[in-house]
Amino acid sequence: MSTLLTAEYGVENIVKSFGGAKALSGVSLSVKSGEVHCIAGENGSGKSTLIKIMSGVHAPDTGLIRLGDKSFTKLSPREAVHEGVQVIFQDFSLLPNLSVAENIAIPTYISENSRFFSKSKTKEIAANALDLIGVDIDINASVTDISIASKQLIAIARATNQGVKMLFMDEPTTALTRKEIKHLFEVVEQLKERGVATIFVSHKIDEIQEICNTITILRNGEVVADGIMRDFKRDSISEAMTGLNVSETRIAPPLKKASTKVIEVRNLITKPTFLDISFSIAPGEILGITGLLGSGRTELAEAIFGQYPIDSGEVIVEGESIRLNSSPAALKAGIGYVPPDRLTQGLFLEQSILRNLVAVGVDQYQSRGKRLSKKRLAEAGEKWIKDLRIKTKNSLNPVTSLSGGNQQRVVLAKWLAMNPKLMILNGPTVGVDIGSKREILEIIRDRAQEGMGFLVVSDDIPELIQICHRVLVIKNGQISKEFNESELDEEVLYKELS
Amino acid sequence: MDFKKLLRRNETALIIAIVLLSVIIGAKSPEFYSLANLFDIFRSSFVQLLFALGVLVVIISGGIDVSFPVVGIFSGYSAVVLMKHFDWNPGNVSLPIALAIVIGVILGALNSIAIASFGIPTLIATLGTSGIFRGIMLTFIGSSFISDIPAALDKFATADLLKIQPAEGTLARLHVLIIPVVIITILVSLMLNRTMFGRSVYALGGGVEATRRLGISIKRTQAKVYMFVGGISGLAGILYVSLQRKANPYDLYGSELDIIAAVVLGGASIMGGYGTVFGTVLGVLLISLIKGNLILLGVSGSWQRAAIGALLLIGITVQAINESKKAKNRRVSTSDEVAG
Amino acid sequence: MNERFNKINSGLLADRKVTQLMVITAGTFAIFSLVSRDIFFSSANFTSMAYQIPEIAILSIAVMLSMLTGGIDLSIVAISNAAALVAAWIMTTKMGESETLSYSWIIIACVVGTLVGLAAGAVNSIIIARLDVTPILATLATGTLFNGIAIGITDGVSVSGLPENFMRVGNGTFLGIPTPFVLMVVIALAVGYFINRTTLGLKVFLVGTNRKAAQYSVMGDRKVIAWIYLISALLSSLAGLIIASRTSAASPDFGSSYILLAIVVVVLGGINPNGGFGTITGVILATAVLQMVSSGFNALRFSQFFYLAAQGAVLVFVMILNVVLERRRVSRSISKSLRS
Ligand SMILES: Nc1ncnc2c1ncn2[C@@H]1O[C@H](COP(=O)(O)OP(=O)(O)OP(=O)(O)O)[C@@H](O)[C@H]1O
Ligand SMILES: [Mg+2]
Repeated sequence: MSTLLTAEYGVENIVKSFGGAKALSGVSLSVKSGEVHCIAGENGSGKSTLIKIMSGVHAPDTGLIRLGDKSFTKLSPREAVHEGVQVIFQDFSLLPNLSVAENIAIPTYISENSRFFSKSKTKEIAANALDLIGVDIDINASVTDISIASKQLIAIARATNQGVKMLFMDEPTTALTRKEIKHLFEVVEQLKERGVATIFVSHKIDEIQEICNTITILRNGEVVADGIMRDFKRDSISEAMTGLNVSETRIAPPLKKASTKVIEVRNLITKPTFLDISFSIAPGEILGITGLLGSGRTELAEAIFGQYPIDSGEVIVEGESIRLNSSPAALKAGIGYVPPDRLTQGLFLEQSILRNLVAVGVDQYQSRGKRLSKKRLAEAGEKWIKDLRIKTKNSLNPVTSLSGGNQQRVVLAKWLAMNPKLMILNGPTVGVDIGSKREILEIIRDRAQEGMGFLVVSDDIPELIQICHRVLVIKNGQISKEFNESELDEEVLYKELS
Repeated sequence: MDFKKLLRRNETALIIAIVLLSVIIGAKSPEFYSLANLFDIFRSSFVQLLFALGVLVVIISGGIDVSFPVVGIFSGYSAVVLMKHFDWNPGNVSLPIALAIVIGVILGALNSIAIASFGIPTLIATLGTSGIFRGIMLTFIGSSFISDIPAALDKFATADLLKIQPAEGTLARLHVLIIPVVIITILVSLMLNRTMFGRSVYALGGGVEATRRLGISIKRTQAKVYMFVGGISGLAGILYVSLQRKANPYDLYGSELDIIAAVVLGGASIMGGYGTVFGTVLGVLLISLIKGNLILLGVSGSWQRAAIGALLLIGITVQAINESKKAKNRRVSTSDEVAG
Repeated sequence: MNERFNKINSGLLADRKVTQLMVITAGTFAIFSLVSRDIFFSSANFTSMAYQIPEIAILSIAVMLSMLTGGIDLSIVAISNAAALVAAWIMTTKMGESETLSYSWIIIACVVGTLVGLAAGAVNSIIIARLDVTPILATLATGTLFNGIAIGITDGVSVSGLPENFMRVGNGTFLGIPTPFVLMVVIALAVGYFINRTTLGLKVFLVGTNRKAAQYSVMGDRKVIAWIYLISALLSSLAGLIIASRTSAASPDFGSSYILLAIVVVVLGGINPNGGFGTITGVILATAVLQMVSSGFNALRFSQFFYLAAQGAVLVFVMILNVVLERRRVSRSISKSLRS
C-alpha cells in the first residue's frame, strides 16, 4: 500500500505521428496514485493516442513513459499490464467470441500470471466485478448479443479489477445513462481511496469538474493548459479546448422558407433499435441528430442510407417514396452518406487521393464501351482538390499522406461529387484539427445555402449548436425531444441527453 | 442448457448426420453393423484425429496450416531414416515417437518464425514451408519407400487392445492406440478450455488487437500454436508410418483437405475464435465413415473426393447462411464502436 | 513536407517493383546462362520455355485477380482440368478412329469446356460474393468438389489422343512465335486493359483495398467479386485447353503443383496478398523468372523436388523481404518526420 501511495505515472515529451499527420507533439503529464487526472480536448486532439501510448498499445516516436519507478522508451501492453495498468478503451476492445464472464476475468488471470483457467473462478471474478459497479448483466451471454451500454459496462468492470494501480478511462460514459454514470463515479472514488491513479478522458465539462483533481488540456496534439481542477472555470476549459471564444461561433445560415421537403421519414421501425421515428428536412436545412452511444443515432443514419435493416416505414425523397434497405436505391434517389470512421469505412487508405475522390461515382467516368476516361478522372480530381482546398501536391499520392482534416475532406468530396439532395454526415469532424473543422462546417453551410439538405449525426454538442437549424435527441430508439433554433443551448442539450 | 440451443449446435447436427448416414448404410448393407467395422473406422480415424486436433488449434487462433501433412510425413519418414542409419532398434516405440515429435516441433518452429516473427499470412507461409519441407525431404533425406521399418514400429501396427471374435463374421480388433489417442484428445480439450494458453488461442481468433491490448503476447501465442501443430503432426506422422508398416515419403501429401474439412464441419470457424474438440472428433468420424463406407453405399470409390468436397461445401454454406441470419437478427450495429 | 510522399505514391511504387523484378529477371537469366552455357543458353531451351511459360502465366493471372480483391482462388487447377476434360471428351468421342477432327467440332468442344469452367466459376461467385464464405475455404471446397467429380467420372484415367489439328495450337507457331505464347500475350493485354482501363477494373482495386469502404461507397462490391471469380474461371479454362493441346491429354490430376507455383509467381510479381495492389507486368516477369529457375535446374540436373523447395523458399523469402522493407520504410519515415 505504501508504495502505491507514492507512485507516480506519466509521460515526458511524447511525439507520435501516423503516416504524415502528427497526433502528439511533445506531450508531458503526470498523475499520482490516489488522484484522478483529466485529459480534456476536442475530437482528434490526441487523447486516445496518448492513452494508447501510456498503455503500450502504440509505440511513441520519441519520449519516455514512467510507470511507478520504472521508465520505458518502448512499452508493450504486456509490460504495462504487469505494471498494473488497465484501460477502458473508447472502442471497448472486447472479444466477441468469448462470454461476458471471460471478457471480464481474463485481465485478472493475466495480472496474476496464472497458467490455468477455471470456469467457476471466472464466473466468480466476473460476478464480483459487476457487483462492484452495481450492474446486472448475464455473465454467460455472448458479447455479440448485448447492447452497447452493457459492453461499455463490461469494459469498465474488466478494468477495475484487483490488480489495477493505474486506470485509464477513455470516454467511459458515452453510452451510459445518468444513473449509471453516478454509480461509475462512486467506483472511481473507491478506487481513489484504494490508491489507484486514474486518468479520465472526456469532453463533457460537467463530468470533468465533478470527478477530477487535476487536468491537462490537449489541442492538436499539444498541451495547452494544465493544473489543478479548482483553478479552471467552465469557460476557461472550453476556451482552452477550442482556442476560440465560444459565444461567437454559430455559423448556420438563415433558413429560407420552403414548402417542399428534401426528405420525409415516416414511422421508421426496426425493433429493437428504433420504434417509430418520423421527421423531415427542408431544402437547405441542416438537421442535427444526437443521442448516447447505442441510442440508435448511427443506425438511423445507416437505415436511411440502406445499410441497416428497416422493418417498416417510409422514406420519401422529394415526394417519391424510395425502396428501403437498398443503398443503390438511396444513392439513386440522391442520398449521400459520410460514415463515422473514415479510416475503416470512408477511405481506401493506401490508394491514391484521386481514386478515393472518384470512388462513389466511378461509373460516371466511363466513356463509350465501359472505358475509363483517365482525362475526366484527372479533371474531377483537380476540381475537388481545388474546391475543398485539399492540401496536397499530387493527387496520385496515397490518401494516408494527408492529415486528418484533409482526409475527411476527401470523403466529403467523394459524396459531394454525386451532388446529393440529402447529405447524411455521421461525425463529420471527428479527429480533425480546429482549422479544418471550421472549414468543413463552412463547406456544409455553403452547400446548404445552395439548397442541399443535411442530416448531421454527432455527439459533439457544440458542433451541432454551431451548424444546425434544428436538433433531435434520440433516446431508446425514439425521438425524445426536438430543439428549434432558438432553443439550442449546450447545457440544456446535455441534460436531455443523459 | 435449453433444448433449442442444443438443437442449434453444430455438434447436434453432426451427430444427426452420423446416425442418419449409419442407418442408410446399414440398411443397404447389414454387414456395416459389425464390431469389426466399428473398430476399423476407429483405426482409420486415429491419425486423422491427431492431425485434426492440431489443425483445430490453428483454426481457432485465426490461422490456417496446410503444411501439416508434409510435416507429418517428413517427421515420420525422417525418424525411420535416422533409426535405420544409426541402426537403432529399440524394443518399444517411444524412441521413434519422440524423434518424430521433436522433428515436428522443429518444423513447426520454422512456421512460427515465418508467421509470428514476420507476420506472413498463414496460408501463404505454410504453403511456402510445405514446399520447402517436402522438397528438402525428397531431395536430401530420401525419396524411396522403406518397407522394412524398425521392428518395434512394425510390431506396433498389430498391437491390439481387444480381440473379439463374434459368433459369425470377421474378427474385431481394437488397436491399442485408442487409449493414447483418447487421452491426447482429452488433454487438448483441457488445454483449450482450462489453461490460459488455450484461452489466449481463442482470444487471438476473436481479435488480434483486442488480445494484444489485454497483455497477451501475440507472437508467443502464435509461436506456441505452430509448434504444437508441428509436434502433434510429427506424432501423427510416425503413427501413420507404423500403422502402414512402411515409410513412403510420397504419402499424406494432399490429404490436408480431408482434415480441414473435418475440423470445419466440426464447427470451427475459419475466421477464428470458435471450435471445439468434441465437434472435431465428430467431424473426423463423419469423414472416416464416408471415406470407408462409400462402397457399401454402392458408390464407386473414385467418388470419395467428390463426396468430401460436397460435404464440406454443404457444411460451409449452411454455416454461412446461419451466420448471416444471426447477424440480421442481432441488429446491434457495430459501426458505433469503431471510432477512437 | 509533401515531397517525401511523392516517392511512395502508389504508381511509382508499383513501377519500382517492376523495375526490381526486371533486374531479378535479367540476373536469373545471366546466372543460368553462365553456369549452363550449352544447355540453358540454347535456342532449344528458349523455345521450350516459351511453350511452358504461358500456361502458368495464365493461371497466375487468374490467381492475381482474386488476390487483388483480397481473396484467393484455390480452385484454378480443378477448373482448368475440368474444362480440358470436357473438351477432350467431346473431341475424342467425335473423332472416333480418325486422327483429326473438323475445326467446327474442335471449337464447339473448346466452347463447351469453357462453359463448364465458367459454370464452376459461377459456383465460386455465388458462394463467395453472395454467401460471404471466406474465399480460401470456399475455393478449397469447390476445388475438391470439381476435382472429385472429374475423378469420379473418369475414374482417374486421363483422356488422351486428341486430334492433331487441336494439338497444333499448343505446339505450333504463329508468325514464328509459339502459339501459346501469343495467346498469353493477348490474354495479358486484355486483362491489363480490364484492370487499368475499365471502371470495373478500378473497382477491383478499391474493393481489395477496403471492402467496407467499398460497401459504403455503393460500388456494388459483391458484383465486383462475383465477376472476378468468373473471370478467374474463364482464364483457368483457357489455360486448361492450352495444356490439353500441348500435351494432347487431359486428366483430373494434372498440375496439382501449379497452385503453389501460381501463388509463388503472384507474390514474387508484387501482388499484395491482402488485396488492392499489383501489376500484370509483375506477374509475367515473375513467371519468366520461375520458368528460368525451373529450366536452369533441369539443365543442371537438379531434382524436381529441389525446384519445389526453391519455390517454397522464394515465396517465404519474398514475403519476409516485403515485411522487412516495410518496417524499414516506416521507421525511416518516423525519423524523417522527427527531423522536419
Ligand atoms: N491508427 C491511426 N492511424 C492513423 N491516424 C490515427 C490513428 N489513430 C488516431 N489517428 C489520428 O490521430 C489524431 C488523434 O486521434 P485520437 O483518437 O487520439 O483523438 P481523440 O482526442 O481521442 O479524439 P476523440 O475525442 O474523437 O476520441 C486524429 O487526427 C486521428 O485521426
Ligand atoms: Mg478518443
